[in-house]
Amino acid sequence: MSALYPLASLSQIENTPSKQHGMPEDLEEDLRAYGCKLIVQAGRLLHQKQVAVAAAQILFQRFWFVTSMKQFGVGDIAMGALYLASKLEECPIRMRDLINVYDALLQRSIHYSKADTEFKYHAMSYFGSTFYDIKDAVVVAEMQILKRLGFHVQVVLPYGTLVNYLRVLGLTNHEDACSKAWGYLNDALQTPVYALYQIPTIVSAAILLATRNLQIPLPSTPPNCWWELFDAAWEDIWSVCGYIMRLYRERDVSERRRVMGMLTKKEVRRWLEEHAAGNPTSH
Amino acid sequence: MNYIQLEKLGEGTYATVFKGRSRTTNEIVALKEIHLDAEEGTPSTAIREISLMKELKHVNIVRLHDVIHTETKLVLIFEYCEQDLKKYMDQRGDRGALDPPTVKSFMYQLLKGTAFCHENQVLHRDLKPQNLLINRKGELKLGDFGLARAFGVPVNTFSNEVVTLWYRAPDVLLGSRTYSTSIDVWSCGCIFAEMISGVPLFRGRDNHDQLLHIMRIVGTPTEAQFQKMFKETPEITIKSYPRYPKMPLQQVLPKASPQAIDLLERLLKFDPAERITATEALLHPYFHQTVNPPPYGLNSSPGSMPPPPSNFPPPPRQQQQQQQHAAHQQSAHPTQYAPQVPQQSYGHPPPTHQAHPQMHHQQPPNVNMPFSNVYGAPPYGHGPR
Repeated sequence: MSALYPLASLSQIENTPSKQHGMPEDLEEDLRAYGCKLIVQAGRLLHQKQVAVAAAQILFQRFWFVTSMKQFGVGDIAMGALYLASKLEECPIRMRDLINVYDALLQRSIHYSKADTEFKYHAMSYFGSTFYDIKDAVVVAEMQILKRLGFHVQVVLPYGTLVNYLRVLGLTNHEDACSKAWGYLNDALQTPVYALYQIPTIVSAAILLATRNLQIPLPSTPPNCWWELFDAAWEDIWSVCGYIMRLYRERDVSERRRVMGMLTKKEVRRWLEEHAAGNPTSH
Repeated sequence: MNYIQLEKLGEGTYATVFKGRSRTTNEIVALKEIHLDAEEGTPSTAIREISLMKELKHVNIVRLHDVIHTETKLVLIFEYCEQDLKKYMDQRGDRGALDPPTVKSFMYQLLKGTAFCHENQVLHRDLKPQNLLINRKGELKLGDFGLARAFGVPVNTFSNEVVTLWYRAPDVLLGSRTYSTSIDVWSCGCIFAEMISGVPLFRGRDNHDQLLHIMRIVGTPTEAQFQKMFKETPEITIKSYPRYPKMPLQQVLPKASPQAIDLLERLLKFDPAERITATEALLHPYFHQTVNPPPYGLNSSPGSMPPPPSNFPPPPRQQQQQQQHAAHQQSAHPTQYAPQVPQQSYGHPPPTHQAHPQMHHQQPPNVNMPFSNVYGAPPYGHGPR
């Protein structure tokens, strides 16, 4: 049902729910990216398939166009998205495993948000409520994703399209170009682009970045522009490239710590109160 | 809730089904209540059912009107159908067998619904008489939610696993994981034979036994045929099987017409690559045998009349007269494109879907429900609270 692939509307893009609650754009971008990194790390630890990990990131990105980070924690939604996507891709994961992995990732984030010392995991107490608290949070997160996305949970993954395009452009012999483009596609999952642009545009952007990076020439002067073969518009490709490249901007220690300390809605709320409007420069 | 809950229709493994009535439109609906498990979250069957069915709007597919999502349960509001095909055959058939016009009408509608699923890239994966619902208008609709048991006198729930086995395609039985639309086509074939004879065609006890039942009728494939299947689907395991010759289907189903037999042969090909598609099957002469083949083959949706003959640019005078003549003939025999209508019903001849050409354009009544964004609203339509 690829025709029904939903994208965010212009007003949702310009004014995301988190932005309406006073969150600066760069912080939202960083939190989105960090949530996706959590999904990837949890996926790795659980030996989950890439299709589920990728689908989870797309659902996670879509969710923040209908909900503010003040209402739901980034960490909870990330894990809910992974749990849901694993069901959708018919490779379900065990709740118990997910809880253990999430607990470890949460502890590590909190640790590094405060210190640079080596992190040591403390297993959750046998009699404590941590396990049940996390379980409830993941179940609620999954339900909220379904509800708020109106069960529009079909996702289209870009990999098949990339292979086709590389063939059309005769790039399949450039192994480094193929793997770089593949990598850009995976990195792009940490940005909102899969909720903003059609797959051909995103794949074209990944190819553009890969070929520029490796200085492989492709016909790029009108009327012979390679991306027109794939019905992608230059402005859109350029915008996707911008989203991807912003991921690689060097973050200083305080920026990195700020993100790691904001995985729950409680911390987001506290931050928003401390940086209430009128005092936007203090972060 | 905007629906009044009426009597319980049945209980499945993960859901309970009630009859319901809309407070706003008085429409009778089926309410399927799914209890959200605190251990596993929302059941994946429910997720799949909602996310796929809300997009599949067709007369021959049970319509999902709305979804109500609360903290503890999920209620799916479906269009109401009186009974399922299994029950229908038990009650109205002659020892389960349906009369030829009914078989033809149901088979046409089954293939229509299946073709629509396939066009929308949805595999049903569990077609069987219990999952096909019949309403009082004689419309057959694909459903997927154990409502079958809902109407039944106690059906042994334990045997349901086995029931499904009987409609499973041989490539799936051999272990194929890359199966596609052809598995639904196989099930359609099994259902077709069952409507004609009144009994399931292949009644195996387990996976292997089921394969033997199939081979006893369609014949054991030759070594070359097995090798070809193995090449196309390397994950299958082929053991050695007794060499059964192919049985003439006419002998298995003496009551069937030659054209019905021919269609069945094409539906029940052992090799999935050779199986006819649902769309092709709809064009089979079995459905169009009495008179000339329909002039607008693929495009004739159920109930659609052929477009009036083009008279622009106006043809030469003589030709024009001929065309008018032809048009007149067509309108005099409006039923000739459509399969015949079953002649048994609740006192009046049941109009089939052919009599309701606009059915699939009807929108469900616009009830104002919480979270009715499941369809209708644009994606991301709901902003923050």
